[in-house]
Amino acid sequence: MDEQQKRLANCFYAVFPELSSEEIIHASPATVPSWDSVAVVTLITVIEEEFGISIEEDDPAKFDSYQRILSYLQEAERKSQGPGDVG
Amino acid sequence: MKLLEALNILESVKRRKGESFSCFLATGMNALHLGTFLRAELGLIYPNHKIDIQCGLYGDFLGNLDRLAAADADCGIVLIEWADLDPRLGLRNVAAWSPATCVDILLHAKTRAQKVQQMIEETCQHMPVVLGLPTLPFPPISFVPGGQASSFEIDLKLLVQSVASHVSQWTQVRVLSSQQLDSVSPFRGRLDVKSELLSGFPYKLAHASALASLFALLIRTPTPKKGLITDLDDTLWRGILGEAGIHGISWDLDHHSQMHAFYQCLLSALSNEGVLLAVASKNEPSLVREAFKRKDLILSPDSVFPVEVGWGPKSESVTRILKTWNVSADSVVLVDDTALELAEVKAAHPELECIQFPSKDSVAIYELVLRLRDLFGKSVLSQEDAIRSNSIRHLHTSAGTDGGVRAARNSFLEQLDAEISFNFNKSPLDPRALELVNKTNQFNLNGKRYTEASWHKYFLDPASFLMTVSYKDKFGPLGKIAVIAGRLNRKLNVDTWVMSCRAFSRRIEHRCLEELFAKFGIDEIELDYLQTDRNGPLAQFLMEILGAAPSPKFTISRRALAAPSEASRRFQETTNG
Repeated sequence: MDEQQKRLANCFYAVFPELSSEEIIHASPATVPSWDSVAVVTLITVIEEEFGISIEEDDPAKFDSYQRILSYLQEAERKSQGPGDVG
Repeated sequence: MKLLEALNILESVKRRKGESFSCFLATGMNALHLGTFLRAELGLIYPNHKIDIQCGLYGDFLGNLDRLAAADADCGIVLIEWADLDPRLGLRNVAAWSPATCVDILLHAKTRAQKVQQMIEETCQHMPVVLGLPTLPFPPISFVPGGQASSFEIDLKLLVQSVASHVSQWTQVRVLSSQQLDSVSPFRGRLDVKSELLSGFPYKLAHASALASLFALLIRTPTPKKGLITDLDDTLWRGILGEAGIHGISWDLDHHSQMHAFYQCLLSALSNEGVLLAVASKNEPSLVREAFKRKDLILSPDSVFPVEVGWGPKSESVTRILKTWNVSADSVVLVDDTALELAEVKAAHPELECIQFPSKDSVAIYELVLRLRDLFGKSVLSQEDAIRSNSIRHLHTSAGTDGGVRAARNSFLEQLDAEISFNFNKSPLDPRALELVNKTNQFNLNGKRYTEASWHKYFLDPASFLMTVSYKDKFGPLGKIAVIAGRLNRKLNVDTWVMSCRAFSRRIEHRCLEELFAKFGIDEIELDYLQTDRNGPLAQFLMEILGAAPSPKFTISRRALAAPSEASRRFQETTNG
């Protein structure tokens, strides 16, 4: 688990403290009974705070699993770094 | 506090098994992260309690006030935002804006403000209430440009200020200071438009965190310090008295020493509010006496007692002052400009709060005054606060600083012209009684403390009784100095008994028990005694009556009180010489 994954897992653990590390990796509305609208808002806010990002208003719908959120963060990080060195 | 941190605190709070502390947050918004922060802050303030936050329904501000009034909670918070006075002042409910709309909103808001005031006044009869006035920017409804306050905005602000002004008259209501909030939460960083639209929660996280922290501090205000010991040279005044002479020391604008006057103003105010003031200074006593005669001194020398001036170690002066005041070091602050002196005192009295006076740094002195205000701040001033200092002075000047030689004590007591009065009224509850219960350590039956709500709940039991004791003698009044709370069922149980240390050595404790026997016509009283780290003086009194160390839940009979035990007689004989 890299640093980014660890930080994301900490966010999940804060919102869903009942989950184990293994369960967090597979977390989604289908696997977590307490995954409701309040939990989603809290999760998004914690992630924004932890990663210092602002999630677009249309994006929350995409936040429906640990894996998709991780992909979102990785994509956001790539975008923020811009194109790599060319030579 | 970060939200992640707050959530982690909540996880540990959930696992607690102790008593619970519940708070009802009445607001029209979705409490969401504010509720989380509040629970975490209360979890830190009440480290052994389970914390429960009740919030009512989203968008139903007035309904939530009704729910608050009916709630079984330890305290309530009423948080008003502009949209709670009229939904048209929020982002989620839109209506065409026009001058006519403003007039209509104002009328509507007036009705709601009256209801808010009425509900707070009703609720504070049975639980403490904290009120937060609108914290968010006023919406741009009026036609005036941003830099100009419209009469509409001014009228609405006047309306909420008027509510605050009325309810703040109640001792059970605390209004959040907007100035304090402004200092920790910048105005432009408060409104979160996106969050308001997404979830009905209008605050940025930092603002929610700051607000929760201040609310929590108002719910459980820190115990104020009782006494302040000040140095003189380069502290109470600018200059070294021994070098500059009586007229060379200063505290005015002309000598660039105005902030020493500002410090004196604070000390003067603290004295009027019942804080004990003393001086500990390495100086020539005769010079200090002369300096204290200067007419332009802002702090009255009469409000300072004792004045310890000499060349011995400052820690010894502090020891004598603490003994005279009969307060513990952790209730006292020492202000001195010399780091070495502070360190010497701190080594001898580690619990004493030692603060360096930042002489020649006006900004830092201003900050120091704010800090001292916080350390000594109290929500309500009582009559006893105003007479505390004088009564200590009288006690020591009349009986000697060691409390008087015991052999002379009895005749001394006879000459006091003492008057003790007992009051059994428990409605309305006197806030002084709870204050005394929660701050008294030495003459305290068991160290039991109460929240305002639990104190009120205790007296809802028809079998409960409250006895408050006031005292005065020829040296002046001591005010209310003792409290007994208990229940009369088949026998009389005393659950709480405290007496101020200022009232020691006057046999008031004997009179308290005699009064209970007489008032309730009983022959035995059961006392819920528990030894604590600091209630030795009470244990000593009980030993005097019982002839043995008291056990938990022991009984005292009328006969035992009337006829001192063998041990007691031995005690009397020994102490009488």
